[in-house]
Amino acid sequence: MGGPGSSPCASCKLLRRRCAKECIFAPYFPPDDPHKFAIVHKVFGASNVSKMLQELPVHQRADAVNSLVFEANARVRDPVYGCVGAISYLQNQVTQLQMQLAVAQTEILCIQMQHEPTLQSHHEVFELDQDDKAHLLHSNNNSINNCNNNYNLAYAMSSGQLNSNFASPSSIIQMQMQDPLKQESLWT
Amino acid sequence: MNPKRCAACKYLRRKCPKDCIFSPYFPPSDPHKFACIHRIYGAGNVSKMLQQLPVQTRAEAVESLSFEAKCRVDDPVYGCVGIISLLQTQIQKTQTLLAKTQADCCCSNQT
Repeated sequence: MGGPGSSPCASCKLLRRRCAKECIFAPYFPPDDPHKFAIVHKVFGASNVSKMLQELPVHQRADAVNSLVFEANARVRDPVYGCVGAISYLQNQVTQLQMQLAVAQTEILCIQMQHEPTLQSHHEVFELDQDDKAHLLHSNNNSINNCNNNYNLAYAMSSGQLNSNFASPSSIIQMQMQDPLKQESLWT
Repeated sequence: MNPKRCAACKYLRRKCPKDCIFSPYFPPSDPHKFACIHRIYGAGNVSKMLQQLPVQTRAEAVESLSFEAKCRVDDPVYGCVGIISLLQTQIQKTQTLLAKTQADCCCSNQT
């Protein structure tokens, strides 16, 4: 914390001003990590960050600062897409995994049906051979390739404009977004 | 000077020059878009960011900034980082379920 006799926080050092006792930045930008404030200031600006922190209860400010640092780092690394690039990449991963899961669950169902002799006489037994699996994956991959635009994918997810190809995993995420999770895993 | 000011210059209450860096991306029909970006990043920072980018990438940059700004307004603590966290959790859960399902598949094949 700033004050007479103590070292100014990283933000006041960068801004070349006296670090007041009640400096809003001091708890979150210690003097031993000047890069942290520098990058947030570069992307958001000190006054915007100050306003954002003032509007938050004290117990939420540390998390807010950490998420701002994360976003600022992402924006510096990728000046065009920032965090949106990461969101798009992760969304694609979710979709791929969901497809693999669907294939695996279908395989189990087939095996279970084969092991039920009484069902074979009444139901058409089918097996997914390698060609069928490849076709299933390929047709879903084409759907993903049709949405190559990183931004449109992430923007569609956020604004609820989801097409049917991504309805399943994205709708789960939409439901989860109504009950936000704690974010410690990102920076602990 | 543009006869019709872009949303940015309208918001900033200034003249909109012919070479206004904001005008291609902030049409006057959508004032909210610039207002949101300005609230989070500030006009000066956005202008600097756009100036450092090739012209053909600026539209995408504006859209991603708009998205992130909107996320930050909706969730002032976590912003779009909240979405990333949810996706990471979703990936972990799906990977676990996939591994279990594939293991069950192997067991079923062996019986």
